[in-house]
Amino acid sequence: MYRKSMSLVLLVVVSLVMSVFPVMAQDTYPDGKILIYSTGQPHFRELFYQPSIHRFAPNVDVETVQIETMHAGVQKIAMDNLAGAYKDMPDVIMLDAVGIMNLVDAGLLLDMTDYWTPIADQFVDGAVLDATIDGRVWALPDAVRPQVLFYNAAIFEEYDVDPAMMGTFDGYLEAGRLLKERSNGEVYLSYIDPTTYTWRYWGRRGLMPQANARIWDENGNVVIGEDEGTKLALGFLDQLHSEGLLYRTTMMQPPLYEATDQGKIATFYIGAFWDEFLRRNLTATVGDWRVMGAPVFEEVGTGGAPVSTYFCVVNKGDDTYVDLFLDMWYDFSTNTEERNAWVNEMDRLNGPYSNPVSLEVLSDPFWQEPSSFYGGQSFRKAEADGLFNPSPNMTVTPQDNEADGIISAEIEKYVAGEQTMVQAIANMDKELKLRIGRAEMP
Amino acid sequence: MWETLRKHRHPYLFIAPYLILFLVFQLVPTIATVYYSFTEWNGLRPPRWIGWRNYQLMMNDYMFSNAIQNTFRYWIVGAIGIMGLSLLIAVLLNSKVLRSKQFFKTSTFLPYVCASVAMGLIFRMLFEEHAGLVNEVIVSLGGSRIPWLTTSAYAWIPVVILFIWRLTPWFTMIILSGLLNISDEYYEAATVDGASGWQQFLRITLPLLNNILFFCFITITVDAWRLFNESHILSGPGTSNTSLFELMYTSAFTNFKLGYGSALGVVLIVILLGISLIQFMVRRRTGEI
Amino acid sequence: MSYKTKEVLRKLVVHGLLCIIVAFCLFPVLWMSIISFKEVGESITGFNALRIQSPTLANYKRLFELIPIWTNLLNSAFTSIVGTVTTLFFCSLAGYAFAKFDFPGRNALFYFVIATMMISPEVGAVPMFVIMRRVGLVNSLWSLIIPRMATAIGIFYLRQYMLDIPDAIIDSARIDGCSEFGIYRRIVVPIAKPALASWASITVIARWNDYFWPLLYLRDSSKYTLMVSVSMLPVSDGLSTPWQVVLAGTTLVIVPSIILYLVMQTYQKSGQVAGAVKG
Repeated sequence: MYRKSMSLVLLVVVSLVMSVFPVMAQDTYPDGKILIYSTGQPHFRELFYQPSIHRFAPNVDVETVQIETMHAGVQKIAMDNLAGAYKDMPDVIMLDAVGIMNLVDAGLLLDMTDYWTPIADQFVDGAVLDATIDGRVWALPDAVRPQVLFYNAAIFEEYDVDPAMMGTFDGYLEAGRLLKERSNGEVYLSYIDPTTYTWRYWGRRGLMPQANARIWDENGNVVIGEDEGTKLALGFLDQLHSEGLLYRTTMMQPPLYEATDQGKIATFYIGAFWDEFLRRNLTATVGDWRVMGAPVFEEVGTGGAPVSTYFCVVNKGDDTYVDLFLDMWYDFSTNTEERNAWVNEMDRLNGPYSNPVSLEVLSDPFWQEPSSFYGGQSFRKAEADGLFNPSPNMTVTPQDNEADGIISAEIEKYVAGEQTMVQAIANMDKELKLRIGRAEMP
Repeated sequence: MWETLRKHRHPYLFIAPYLILFLVFQLVPTIATVYYSFTEWNGLRPPRWIGWRNYQLMMNDYMFSNAIQNTFRYWIVGAIGIMGLSLLIAVLLNSKVLRSKQFFKTSTFLPYVCASVAMGLIFRMLFEEHAGLVNEVIVSLGGSRIPWLTTSAYAWIPVVILFIWRLTPWFTMIILSGLLNISDEYYEAATVDGASGWQQFLRITLPLLNNILFFCFITITVDAWRLFNESHILSGPGTSNTSLFELMYTSAFTNFKLGYGSALGVVLIVILLGISLIQFMVRRRTGEI
Repeated sequence: MSYKTKEVLRKLVVHGLLCIIVAFCLFPVLWMSIISFKEVGESITGFNALRIQSPTLANYKRLFELIPIWTNLLNSAFTSIVGTVTTLFFCSLAGYAFAKFDFPGRNALFYFVIATMMISPEVGAVPMFVIMRRVGLVNSLWSLIIPRMATAIGIFYLRQYMLDIPDAIIDSARIDGCSEFGIYRRIVVPIAKPALASWASITVIARWNDYFWPLLYLRDSSKYTLMVSVSMLPVSDGLSTPWQVVLAGTTLVIVPSIILYLVMQTYQKSGQVAGAVKG
């Protein structure tokens, strides 16, 4: 009896307090932490998240866990799901289109449509394009980064080649020929990687979408063998490589950086993320680099395709912190002052950051500031400009991860000089048909 | 029954922990793997029974036949290289004329201490085509650069070199402990009989090391068929140097084809069991067991 | 050739060969540690790698910013040491049973143990994870210790060694009224010390370098072993860790294992003396 009346009193007190301090009451969360899986170096994010979350809920912490690839993250969640270990799942995971598709398929992501729709117009166009399946939005954008062209202006000056000619792929090829000829073969237009990166950066994220190429038709049948776009994209790569314009070495390894620093490599046609790699690893050519939009195929006419990464809220049957995470995500995305301060901190720590997806933050003069690494050109502005006139990304199916492995194996044999590009494309077709047969179209 | 168990309770009790752990952490997962090998399963949806289809796909899969050939090569080349080198080093270390024995013992053991993941990264740099030290040495000796990791024909060599480099010390140590147990009397008697050093090695050392060498061979076999880190990090074009274990891993964890990955795992187990069965039959026939 | 010149020649060959072998053994490790002290931006390809202009600790400093080194180091030490102690105990017990007891089904069981050596537990990684979850060990360091407390290969190795223990010693102890476990503890373990020591040093290093299982079972960076943290430096998507820092990481992984090994070596030395006494 006593206990009952006590709890009644307590209830009244609590509801009174709640009506007096509505804001505080709303934001009362149980003690705990939000667990976030992310690739890259997420602990740099914690420098933003931790103070941010404490503004909303002082008793909740953010813990980030670094995963090797987005795929590894999906795999961990899948294992937890298999073992019924919902508690072990992260609250949030950073994913790309394939990962989202896999987890949506298994019912493991929360639908973000209702949250996203009213705020959509605050963000750049197409921010949730890859996270939309059947009209529902399954994730919130973290970064949308374009494919761009990095070039070493000093090399172009030395050999008197006008970088502006690289607006089209024909011009890009021509620039490569000129550089090779005038430097007596010392300067290569770009690199080609003997491992999986050639398919990833030259192919899937680069030439393929820009050439409108397809792996699957609208029913999920394999069409890569007869697709004209594929022929255009991979044929162009073949042209560059067979004319000896590409320096063969592994991506993200010291020999590539050293060759680059020695002025052997003139350009990188790659995603904007490459900025951080250049800044961290080059010393001799600092200030020589410039960025421009990706070249275009005249036949198609669209620029580089953007690569988007997303934060997805995991459907783990416990939504205690979902609202809190959304507040924090919104804060990171739209709080101009805090975001800019964090980016400055990242600059100081040599940490990774990308352009914001919020239009308001982007319009801040901070995001037009010149960068000394690019000889005074503003990289941030160039990144934003690179999103103009984008090519649509290739259609993604749950089978694309496996398809990437199959296709890359053929490209790797091509780079090794063991088959021609025509043979490589024919083999891709054959192997995709044998192993996957038909992809499940979203 | 009870009577025997009670009478011999001590040895059974001593072995019981192993049997229990084996049952829970090896037998059950293995049986489950056999079951999954007959399913199509991406780990997210429930597995779907598809009969022998995974095994049929294997027959047409060039990646699978590549992986089998590569692993077979790692096994044979690795076994010959490791056994030969470790015998040589162990005999050298056991030599009576050797000074600062401890220094040599410790430093020749060093490679085994180094993690294969870390060493893989280093070997990859050493074997780099344009800038790796190996090619630099070859060029300075008048040779031409070899595209170690960028052509299918050479890609297996760095892998097997790393495999041998890292594992030889392990076996050196085991063989050395065997050599230490061989009583000097044998050699003294042989020296009196006028046998040369080489003859002593063939007639005394090798036969007395028989059990230990057998142990080494089995261990190398298991290690070779489980080779993963080395080929994963030192990957060549396509599947040109992929090991069977690596293919299993990528199928299951990169491509989410857990059914196909399980089928590859089952093949791996069958191959290993087959090899060991042959080994035991041979040894039984020659009367060594 | 006189006996003396022959001796000198022999000495020369033995030392010469070993020096070459040692050079091959040490070189990659030295190369790695040299690079880890080089400034980012200094050339590390070809012969340049060996020329160090301005040695720096910056790469190590950076490493400490990137990963929780001390926590990870502690985790690695815990799993390696506890894992080794438990595996030595259970393997030697079983090895002793196989070597020195005559009991029904001994041979069949022993062949069975050998056969299980052929099954890589990694093959069943997925079901294994489910089992681990059932026993509540996911994201626990014990998940790396318990499944391998007794391994077929350890039993096999120790059994081979224990075969040589004279039966007479054991029988006389039994007559003196020593319990079976007492015989194991007071007689078998001391005699088998050299084998135990060499097995221990190998196990402790294998556990330290373990990569596959920690990656599967451990879920957050405070539980990671050093090996996992360091291996994530270069492989992670979207990372641009310079090689100098990566190699600082690999150096940091390898140095403790070298120290561990050297410590084990001292044990082994005393063990060998004990082993020689019984001869």
